[in-house]
Amino acid sequence: MRKVNAVIFTVLALIFILPVAATAVMSFSSEGTPSLQGYVDLLFDCFVFYPMFWNSVLYAAAITIAQLVVIIPCAFGFSQAKFKGKGALFVFYIILMMMPLQVTILPNYIGLRDMGLINTPWGIILPMIFSPFGVVVMRQYMKSIDNSVIEAARLETDSVFRILITSVIPQLRVCIFAVVLFVFADCWNMVEQPMLFLKDDSLKTLSVFIANAQDYTGAVLFPAAVIFLIPVLILYFFFNENLEKGLTLGDLS
Amino acid sequence: MKNKLRKHFKWNTKCKLCLLPSLIGTSVFFVVPYIRVLYYSLIDNQFRRNFVWLDNYIKTLTNEYFLLSLKNSLLLIVTAVPILVMLALIISLALSYGIRWVRKTRVAFILPMVIPTASIVLIWRGVFADSSAVLPIYLLFIWKNIGICVVLLTAAFTSIESSVYEAARLDGAGSFILHTKITISMIAPTVFFTVLLSIVNSFKIFKESYLYYGTNYPPDHSYTLQYYMNNNFLKLDYQSLAASAVLTSILVFGIVMAGMAIQRRFDR
Repeated sequence: MRKVNAVIFTVLALIFILPVAATAVMSFSSEGTPSLQGYVDLLFDCFVFYPMFWNSVLYAAAITIAQLVVIIPCAFGFSQAKFKGKGALFVFYIILMMMPLQVTILPNYIGLRDMGLINTPWGIILPMIFSPFGVVVMRQYMKSIDNSVIEAARLETDSVFRILITSVIPQLRVCIFAVVLFVFADCWNMVEQPMLFLKDDSLKTLSVFIANAQDYTGAVLFPAAVIFLIPVLILYFFFNENLEKGLTLGDLS
Repeated sequence: MKNKLRKHFKWNTKCKLCLLPSLIGTSVFFVVPYIRVLYYSLIDNQFRRNFVWLDNYIKTLTNEYFLLSLKNSLLLIVTAVPILVMLALIISLALSYGIRWVRKTRVAFILPMVIPTASIVLIWRGVFADSSAVLPIYLLFIWKNIGICVVLLTAAFTSIESSVYEAARLDGAGSFILHTKITISMIAPTVFFTVLLSIVNSFKIFKESYLYYGTNYPPDHSYTLQYYMNNNFLKLDYQSLAASAVLTSILVFGIVMAGMAIQRRFDR
């Protein structure tokens, strides 16, 4: 029985990895024979590749860092502050988290247009900083942290900033890692926003490059797809252990 | 005493201020523009700005492409979501209680969650080259979303403390009945949330579908709500877009509120 289980799950796991593995294999072949030609073409001849790669890195890193700066105090505020309507406000964040992009992208677009931020990097970065996912996850996680540490710290200082740094953030480590992985992957995966909010090719991301695949010769596509995978894979192997403990979303009541 | 009270108020104010950056950003980029979207959905066009009230909604609700897209979106919910959640439950059970080798396969099931769709869709196109069926999109949906479901469910399984089982054993419950009953009641809220999240995520499959077909006009069976909206976006038809955005948000709002109400009943 145990052996049967092991075999079944090994096969199932292989099926799940297969698309990634196949992409990698395809990137090293050209017209059916093994070759590095695709990588050579991409890295030495394809001039749009590097700026787009760096745009992807820049946007995703900026959003992830800025989001932490916004959501950690916000989640802390949710867990400590007492005011009327707090529960309702949190439900609002949950509902906003559940909204598909196609609902939020039009409000985003209108807001950005009125501020003159269309076709600027800010148009991509700013709305994503306030995506509600991190707030919900972190506020849920805050419920499980040790409040006595915060109470003890309050006897020594009145500064929220210092309490956050010394007593809250260390306890949030696991959740922060999980959120970093999730948010970075989410930003890295953006397709609609760069396509609709940006006009200049020099500002666009690697995801758009791959999405507009037909414009380029086939040989560079798979190598580009593989290089596009690498940053999230690196983060995944560092941080994936934190996911189950960090994303305590299950019971929202 | 008075001093302590003042200190409490000061602390409370500071904590409230912590919420402010997030609230301001959310208002600027979501809430205020959403109110304008509501306004756009009620006027005839952006230049004349005459109120036509529900005309745009009626136009949207009778548009055959909107209805087609709605039907396809609902079909995805009733077919792929149950399969996704069942599969995730089986995998999570194995990952939580299986032998070490089985536990190690976890990395493979969670990985798709972070893999950029743009990278993977090339292979999908290669494998399902001539397929005109919906199957590739459903498979892509399940592949992409199984990770988050497994993460949430595994967390729920492993958070059931052994002390709960022991307490029940002392009360004289038999081993098999015991495990099943306790496990079901302890993970029910999470299973429920997973279903809710998957329904909501099925609305987000547009990116996968768009990248797979590489066009704004996919085969009829895959024309989901988001295509309808994206195409109106490209046509700069703000009124139809606003109306369908509002309708979709009402639909999602309804699903989430109903879901949370049911979950609250579970807890009692």
